[in-house]
Amino acid sequence: MAADSIRLLDLVGDFVTGQVDSKATDVANGVKSGQFSILQLVEALGLSLTSSESQTRGRGVQLLSQVLEECYTSLSEREVEVLVAFYENRLKDHYAITPHVLHGLKALAKCTVLPKGSAVSILKSLFQDVHVQSLMLAERSCVYNILISLMESREEELKGLGPDFVFGFVQAVDGERDPRNLLLAFQIARNIIHRGYNLSQFTEELFEVTSCYFPIDFTPPPNDPHGITQEELIQALRAVLTGTAQFAEFLLPLIIEKLDSDMQNAKVDSLQTLAACASVYGHKELSDFLPSLWSSIRREVFQTASESVESAGLSALRALTSCLCRSVLTSNSEDSLHVFLDLVLKDCQHHLCEPDLKLVWPSAKLLQAASGASYRASLIVTAVVLPTLLEQYSSRTQCAQRRTLLEVVQGFIQPTASSWPAEGEETVLQPFRKSLCSVVFSALAESNASLQITAAKVLTKLGQQPGVLAQPDVEMAVDHLSRLVLEEHDAKVSLAVAECAGSLSRLHPAPFASRMIPKLKQEIFSEPTVREDDFDLLPGQSRDAGRQRCIMALASVSTQPSLVRESAPVLLQMLAAAHTGSRIFSVEEVVSVCCSLQRIADQTPNTEEMGHFFHDVVIPRLLTLSLHAALQGENESGHSSPLIEEAVLSAIVPVINTACAALQTELATTMAAQAVYLFLDGDVSFLPENDCPSKIQLLRSQSWTQSQLVCLLMACVCSLPHSVDIPEFDRLLGQLEELSCTSTHPFSYTSAAKCFAGLINKRAAGQTLDGVLEKTLRRISVTLDNQSSAQRIQAFNLLVWMTKALLLRYHPLSAVLTDKVFSLMSDCLLASQAADCFELLMSDSPDVLNRSCHADVRIMYRQRFFAENSGKIVQGFNCAEQGKKSVYLKALSHIVNNLPRQVQLTELPSLLPVLLEALSCPDQVVQLSTLCCLQPALLDPPPALSTQLEALFSRLLPLTASPSMKVRIASLRCVHALSQLPEHMVLPFRAQVLRALASPLDDKKRLVRKEAVLARGEWFLIGSPGGR
Amino acid sequence: MKDTLAILHRLSAHPESRCWYVAWHPLGALLASCGGDRAVRIWGKEGDDWVCKCALSDGHQRTVRKVAWSPCGHYLASASFDATTCIWKMTNDDFECLTVLEGHENEVKCVAWASSGHLLATCSRDKSVWIWEVDEEDEYECVSVVNSHTQDVKHVVWHPTQELLASASYDNKVCIYKEEDDDWECRATLEGHTSTVWSLSFDPEGQRLASCSDDRTVKIWKECTSGEDEDSTDGAWKCVCTLSGFHGRTVYDVSWCHLTGALATACGDDGVRVFKEDAAADPRHPAFYLSAHVPKAHNQDVNCVAWHPKEAGLLATCSDNGEIAIWNYQSDA
Amino acid sequence: MSGGARLENANPLIFQRTGERLLTASEEDEDVADPIDDREIFDILLTPNYSYDPEHPLSLEELNVVEQVRVKVNDEESTVSVEFTPTIPHCSMATLIGLSVKVKLLRSLPARFKIDVHITPGTHVSEDAVNKQLADKERVAAALENSQLLEVVNQCLSTRPA
Repeated sequence: MAADSIRLLDLVGDFVTGQVDSKATDVANGVKSGQFSILQLVEALGLSLTSSESQTRGRGVQLLSQVLEECYTSLSEREVEVLVAFYENRLKDHYAITPHVLHGLKALAKCTVLPKGSAVSILKSLFQDVHVQSLMLAERSCVYNILISLMESREEELKGLGPDFVFGFVQAVDGERDPRNLLLAFQIARNIIHRGYNLSQFTEELFEVTSCYFPIDFTPPPNDPHGITQEELIQALRAVLTGTAQFAEFLLPLIIEKLDSDMQNAKVDSLQTLAACASVYGHKELSDFLPSLWSSIRREVFQTASESVESAGLSALRALTSCLCRSVLTSNSEDSLHVFLDLVLKDCQHHLCEPDLKLVWPSAKLLQAASGASYRASLIVTAVVLPTLLEQYSSRTQCAQRRTLLEVVQGFIQPTASSWPAEGEETVLQPFRKSLCSVVFSALAESNASLQITAAKVLTKLGQQPGVLAQPDVEMAVDHLSRLVLEEHDAKVSLAVAECAGSLSRLHPAPFASRMIPKLKQEIFSEPTVREDDFDLLPGQSRDAGRQRCIMALASVSTQPSLVRESAPVLLQMLAAAHTGSRIFSVEEVVSVCCSLQRIADQTPNTEEMGHFFHDVVIPRLLTLSLHAALQGENESGHSSPLIEEAVLSAIVPVINTACAALQTELATTMAAQAVYLFLDGDVSFLPENDCPSKIQLLRSQSWTQSQLVCLLMACVCSLPHSVDIPEFDRLLGQLEELSCTSTHPFSYTSAAKCFAGLINKRAAGQTLDGVLEKTLRRISVTLDNQSSAQRIQAFNLLVWMTKALLLRYHPLSAVLTDKVFSLMSDCLLASQAADCFELLMSDSPDVLNRSCHADVRIMYRQRFFAENSGKIVQGFNCAEQGKKSVYLKALSHIVNNLPRQVQLTELPSLLPVLLEALSCPDQVVQLSTLCCLQPALLDPPPALSTQLEALFSRLLPLTASPSMKVRIASLRCVHALSQLPEHMVLPFRAQVLRALASPLDDKKRLVRKEAVLARGEWFLIGSPGGR
Repeated sequence: MKDTLAILHRLSAHPESRCWYVAWHPLGALLASCGGDRAVRIWGKEGDDWVCKCALSDGHQRTVRKVAWSPCGHYLASASFDATTCIWKMTNDDFECLTVLEGHENEVKCVAWASSGHLLATCSRDKSVWIWEVDEEDEYECVSVVNSHTQDVKHVVWHPTQELLASASYDNKVCIYKEEDDDWECRATLEGHTSTVWSLSFDPEGQRLASCSDDRTVKIWKECTSGEDEDSTDGAWKCVCTLSGFHGRTVYDVSWCHLTGALATACGDDGVRVFKEDAAADPRHPAFYLSAHVPKAHNQDVNCVAWHPKEAGLLATCSDNGEIAIWNYQSDA
Repeated sequence: MSGGARLENANPLIFQRTGERLLTASEEDEDVADPIDDREIFDILLTPNYSYDPEHPLSLEELNVVEQVRVKVNDEESTVSVEFTPTIPHCSMATLIGLSVKVKLLRSLPARFKIDVHITPGTHVSEDAVNKQLADKERVAAALENSQLLEVVNQCLSTRPA
């Protein structure tokens, strides 16, 4: 003990007279470990604390304070009481000591054992003895932190101080300039207001001392280590100013004044503050200021050139209106909402009728903002505005003006979240139902495309609100839409019509089923009436285009089961007709029929009923038609079914994929069994029209038309949920392996390999699976090792798909397979395919092994693959002889290109040299994928890039003249991205780049020119006044 | 047209910029050019090639619009958008900036030496024409500022022998000045063009003046001498011929060859044209025919044409694409 | 621009932008040459949603300053003519808008093009004076060497908010 106290004295001596700062930590550690108590420290400090030298006293207090900051949690109440008394006393000491005293008090204020009464006495001493604003920044911060700590723990005691506390704070903060301290001061002020401290006569003082910073104008210094933003300060101050209705009489005039400012930021801040306080205030606080507030808001919205001012103005108006709406509910006094809205209407309504419509948009936006505040407000506004607008619409003849008016109408008919009618309230549009419909229908009948599009949008909005459109209106709408589908060839109108029909059909399926679908069907199957070779026929006006729109529309309106039951059979019937040849449909048309079926499968609600529909009707029908086509085979004379075309089968796959992926377990299980037995044993019993020859063996067939149907097997079994058991698994895999290794028909063997991959990806891990995989791998290896084998390409194909299947699920065997693929990069025949296969390995396959097929895909498998293999590629690149390096670059660019952007960014520095090399590789595929992976990285370039710019430009610029359009576009995008680099880095290249970009401006392809224009425009701005 | 205009040389004189103007040295061995790159370049022939002998790039802060050699060939003046005119002295193949003439409020558009070499004229967008006197000590003094135009003055040119000055302007007019009682005055205003007059050129004898304009025409003006025409006074000029229908866009420059009498034009339609006077026509109503035309002489606007002072048929042109081209014109007529 | 100038025409008639040009199959075909057409020039002038009018940070089309019908291009003859309509007949910014349009085209089109920028006939009091000024390449060149003017033009052409 004695030793300890001697040690303590030594430490104190070293700190106080020896000026060894580090001793403070030693003392603190001693206190924390219980070596000595805090009172022993005070005792040991005795001489220093009573020294006549203020510097020594200061040093003594400093040591004590530093120790307290470390150890305040372990103090006893008694110790705290003694220390508080000591420190309060020290506040009266020499000014040089005050900073240390404040640090000590700050620590003490955080003590949970602060004795009752201490908080008040600390504050009294502080307010009495310290002139806060003559302190340094850090000490002022101490004072604010003391206040904050005490407010957290001693709220009741502080409130006992009454208005004195507020007054003390006001005095302390008055004149504060530092943004960090202001954030603290605003926090205190906010606490005062929100926690109900007594402001009484000091309300205005508190407002003054904080509102003098409004609006905040603060630009953080460059490289500001504190990271305080203007936005933080704005938010903190706004919370204070808008915190209480007691400030209303001061704040509202201030806002009106600041709105006159020339500074855009001040305007925006004022408007946002107004919006914020309107949600706190009642109509009493607002009422006196409403006319001036309105005229300021109106002026800003009418005159502004800035979107942010406009949107802040509109939000403020909406907030004011909401506030008045709330008051309506609570007060019986004069209806101030009506008075206010009358004002708004008076100033805005007439602009809707002026001949040149010059102020129509700002007026409409203001009215819409007010209207959107509540149901009640929207009732008042629409009752006045809608009749005006509808009447204007009818009196105008110019399409542009009509469109403008209709767009304005559109803004009024869509209720906002706060103006949506409550239960039992009817839509505000009720009185205008008829006239709205007649305007919309007349617009739909115009020949002006943009008017039609706007009308379709308005109709969509009307249809989305229950109760607005009556049955006859919907029927009329459906007739208009049907006519537009059949007749309108403008692509944008068709798109708008499809969206509108889709949206309406959700709420009103019946008329679509009874009126539109039959019309579409009739059009699809009608005999041609016009001559197709008519010269006058524009693209889009031909019958094919019309039929195409019908096919798409069938998908668009299939939003409800009742509609799917009508539309899908039409599409299936088209396929059947195409198959039999009773109608001639082109392959493209058949493909688009499949696309529509896929859309339907995709958007259909996932119900048991729909599951049955696809399981019982759609899928069997598709299988039957394909099977019949396959058995019929190639017909050398006359008609051969389009359903044997690869393009068509590839389009059927996603239909079945999507439908199967959504099947309920029970249906999925029967689906699996039916498909497997169909393909293994030729069991056609579940198919309609199953009059097939017995003994069909699709997977063993020598006919390509039959063997390629394996893609449909894949669609049926590879997209089912995990839980579904696939029967005859081993036999199935065996036949798939055989087909994929021996078939000479690429679509057949690739589909077989994919099906194989899809199955093993989901199969439970274990010896059985491993046994099968190893057997297959041996077969693949043997074939690949035999350079003269005719089936190497097939074996390679199976290897790649198998690798992918296992890679995705992190199966241990995947490493072996990957190495096998790597080894093929030096193969003389397969090198190029081996490089390309990384694209397949790293990207999502659309029809198998993806998450929507319920495949086993581990997150971040790409990163893992990259981490494990990029080194091998770079090494392979470095070792390869010159002519063969490109294979590695291609592989690398495929991998990097598919990595998530964040990973690309971290990996880029190390890969940059190789990627630059890849840019000079003559292979366009390598160039393209390298450019694609560079471009996003250039937007946020790694520091490593700055030293490589010279090399980068010298490789990039020649690529803008590449024979490949895609390379030209990608290189121009990179050049564009580089323009955003810091000026000092890119300015030296400006002349060179501008010269190089002159010829792409005259590229023969428009898409290239577009990129060149963008890039060159940006480069011109570099180093030019006003540019950057 | 049996007459031909054949390309001899093409040089990239002011790359990545435009070449505004070229001027032959009076002895013909050197060619000066200037452009948007703020530089003046001096070109000379080495063997069969034209090479840049010298680049004067520190004289001006902005585009150098025109250059002019003094008649003695020892001095070169350059007029710039930076509102100044530099006088360069040539010693051997080296140039030294002798003095900078300041005074114009904004862009100086043109500079020209009188045949005596003692007078210099400049003009500017500030609408004024300044006459400077040069003394034996190479000191330049402004002796007169004339404000006869209401707009931008585009070009000034001296009479080949007399102290008579002509100027062309954005106000569509041409003015002719003479000294009168120690002050320079506008003696005649030539009106007829319907848009900006870009350039002027006197014929070898100085009796006629050719002007070219944004209105796509070239006009020939003749001084009326007493007795020739009833209602004209001495010193008045009238338009005796208008070449219209030949040019597709603005005619930026015109040059009258003092050796052959051929008239060349530089046009914004990228073409260079040479016109010959029809010898059979009435001298009071001269007629010109298109003798040679190179439609795409340059792939951008042609800004200037300049006939070689000593070698008949040699023509220099320059263009917005920064090029200079040297042509050989041959005529059977 | 100064506060006074800004108020001159605070609320032009705003038209909705024409939608994006739809991509055609031939545009994606390497072997087909796509001629430069009116719509392309129009898109250049509006790309990508910035304004030439310092008074209004909106695109030209929204302001109806330039309409599609008033762009005429002839790719074979390498000529482009653009007529722009200032928002109101007295708009003092007409020259600046015209200059910005011209500069944008100069920077975006192949050098072979002859570019004419005019005010739509009958829409501006000083139509002829502005047109003559815009057609004078010497004045345009000098204007672009004036850093204050260039600054305003560049701001108009900048895709980043000023």
